Amino acid sequence: MSAMKIALVLAVALLALVSVAEAGVSFKSLNSSKTLTVQAKIQATNLTSGQAHVGTDHLVISWALNSSFDGTGKDARYANVKIRLCYAPVSQTDRGWRKTKDDLEKDKTCSKGITQQKYVSTGNTTTWRITKDVPGAVYFVRVYAVDALGTELGWGQTTDKAKTTNLIEIVPISGRHVSIDIAAAVFSVFSVGSLMGFLGLEAIKQRKANSKAGHFFREAFIDTIRGQSVLREVKII
Amino acid sequence: MAPQGENRTDADLTGEPGSSLHGVTGHEVFPYINMDTVPEEATDLKGRKFSLPVDSEHKAKKLKIYSFARPHMLTFHLSWISFMTCFFSTFAAPPLLPIIRDNLGLTKTNIAHAGVASVSGSIISRLLMGTICDLFGPRYGCAILIMATAPAVFCMSIVSTVDGFILVRFFISFALATFVSCQFWMSSMFNGQIVGLANGLAAGWGNAGGGITQLVMPLVYDLIAKNIGADNFTAWRLAFFLPGCMHIVMGLIVLAIGQDLPDGNYSSLKRSGDKVTDTFFKVLQYGVTNYRTWIFTITYGYCLGVELTVDNIIAQYFYDRFDINLTIAGTIGSTVGLMNIISRPAGGMISDMAARRFGMRGRLWALWTLQTIGGVLCIGLGLLGSLGPSVVVLVIFSIFMEAACGATFGIIPFISRRSLGVISGAVGAGGNVGSILTQVLFFSNQSYSMEKGIMLMGVMAIACTAVLFLVYFPQWGGMLCPPSKATEEDYYGGEWNEAERAKNLHRNSLKFAENSRSERGPSRQEQTSDSAPTTRV
Repeated sequence: MSAMKIALVLAVALLALVSVAEAGVSFKSLNSSKTLTVQAKIQATNLTSGQAHVGTDHLVISWALNSSFDGTGKDARYANVKIRLCYAPVSQTDRGWRKTKDDLEKDKTCSKGITQQKYVSTGNTTTWRITKDVPGAVYFVRVYAVDALGTELGWGQTTDKAKTTNLIEIVPISGRHVSIDIAAAVFSVFSVGSLMGFLGLEAIKQRKANSKAGHFFREAFIDTIRGQSVLREVKII
Repeated sequence: MAPQGENRTDADLTGEPGSSLHGVTGHEVFPYINMDTVPEEATDLKGRKFSLPVDSEHKAKKLKIYSFARPHMLTFHLSWISFMTCFFSTFAAPPLLPIIRDNLGLTKTNIAHAGVASVSGSIISRLLMGTICDLFGPRYGCAILIMATAPAVFCMSIVSTVDGFILVRFFISFALATFVSCQFWMSSMFNGQIVGLANGLAAGWGNAGGGITQLVMPLVYDLIAKNIGADNFTAWRLAFFLPGCMHIVMGLIVLAIGQDLPDGNYSSLKRSGDKVTDTFFKVLQYGVTNYRTWIFTITYGYCLGVELTVDNIIAQYFYDRFDINLTIAGTIGSTVGLMNIISRPAGGMISDMAARRFGMRGRLWALWTLQTIGGVLCIGLGLLGSLGPSVVVLVIFSIFMEAACGATFGIIPFISRRSLGVISGAVGAGGNVGSILTQVLFFSNQSYSMEKGIMLMGVMAIACTAVLFLVYFPQWGGMLCPPSKATEEDYYGGEWNEAERAKNLHRNSLKFAENSRSERGPSRQEQTSDSAPTTRV
């Protein structure tokens, strides 16, 4: 019975969690708010597209308010900007955990955050060393302008609407180290080796015991034969 | 002349009387000993006392869970812990998939293939393990398998390609064959009246390893990534050393203190002539030609198969359909595995209780009922559209399905005595085949949505369970037909041909037949003591 109660409590708690979540800003609603121009360059080559290596390469990201929005007051409530690394469509295919959704609360396109800066209409630049937890994929950079509460009000990105230009391919670390390889090999050899050792020991013990028993039976058999031959001599059988 | 090497022990050779139930001189042809006349402080063939009451085969009649006494309870604990270790390592990758998929660049198709690979390896190994247990004993089978798959677990730490990942998951899944050695071991150590409960507890707690791993592996990963400060993509690799080391430790412990039978190990018993050496082909023949093996393979395929499929898809299902957090979806997924701790033993207990009141027919009806209700709940799960009720139905469904798995192994020990290993292996493998079949038919197709797939899985489960009506034991009856005049000795003795019976090689089967009379049910128990010939020396 108590297992059922626990299950019911769990179910109610989950329901409560779900009802608390709110929908985020719809990306479509921000269509008219593409107010920022963004550019991202690989520091080593000074190009806006190409290959960058995790851990060693830097991305130089500069953003500013688009000049066509100067003085319109569109940026009145902008407090901060969030700079995020986003997956290009080629890295999203067959990977539901990177899916683009309209609800920005649930959207997984730009799951990697680069940094956050204060908003100024003249813009800013940041240099970011690509961290080691970034997976190998093709990316672009998007900047969201948010208000004091973190709600997205405007945005801009390095690539075009179809997400085909200015894409940066990031080459990841493998996560492997020579020490891990060696440790794995050592443990594996130990496992198989100690198994063989144990089985070998038991086989040897068995052979000794068998030969002891075999030896005993042989002795007993010889005694019997001798006994029979003695009895035959004495003409009993 | 005493029969060559048949009933002699070291004690006999030195002439110590009273140290063996089989008699001192080895003169008696065959001891028919009633269960009631075995004294409470029975001793094994070497004169050591048993701490639990035993029957004439020295199998325990009681289960004391808190005890670690040799040989029965120690075997119980060794057996479920080693099985749990194997489930732990086989399902260690799914909770870490969010990191692994980024490290290796996996796509959804790759992950699905790896999921199928992780249940296919054990099909072959479960079939092989059955024969190994019959011929060499469950202790060797379990230990060899666990230590031979440890390198595969360590290989997970060094994979860097998609194909490598799929191959490693395939090889690690060979370890799931410890299920067969576990069940075989329990059936060798525990009497038929509690074998359902013993099998259910051992398998249930072992299966729970799949749930435990979903909670432990992320914790270990967090520990390494945050406290030790390793990179993400290195931390998950280091985390895999935990299941690998568990394999090695359990393998060594089983080899060192495990024991095949209540009286000792196969090798020492074979030497003293108390364990008959059997041949691979005979064991295989009697297992394969028994039609009940195949019926239970099908039903178990839609019992364990459904459970394994749900293990693989349920977190994704909740995440996609109800848009919840991946961690919460994973926790819901782990409850399915963890319910095994209670529900599988409950199934075994229900089977044993049904046997006490109705004999083997009760066991069959109990299994059919549990599995059919599970199938109905599965259909319900697919039809429900809201989160709360879905979680509740999921939990109840997993309770019934897992209880059905437990109830299945309340019946398996009685199908054959000679080929118990082969049959356990075939049925266990059937579980995996069912899972693969279901995943391929209903969950890799674009034409079925996940909820439709779950509903169809429930329908197929109900259909496949209906074959239970075809099972018939001549001495006990079937679901619809009453028993014939045949006896248990006819059934189990029938597995040995004339030549083998002349050499008395079937003596262990006859002992088992004696002890299995409890499956007749209480109404026919009074007939037993009159009909069994007793020859005492």
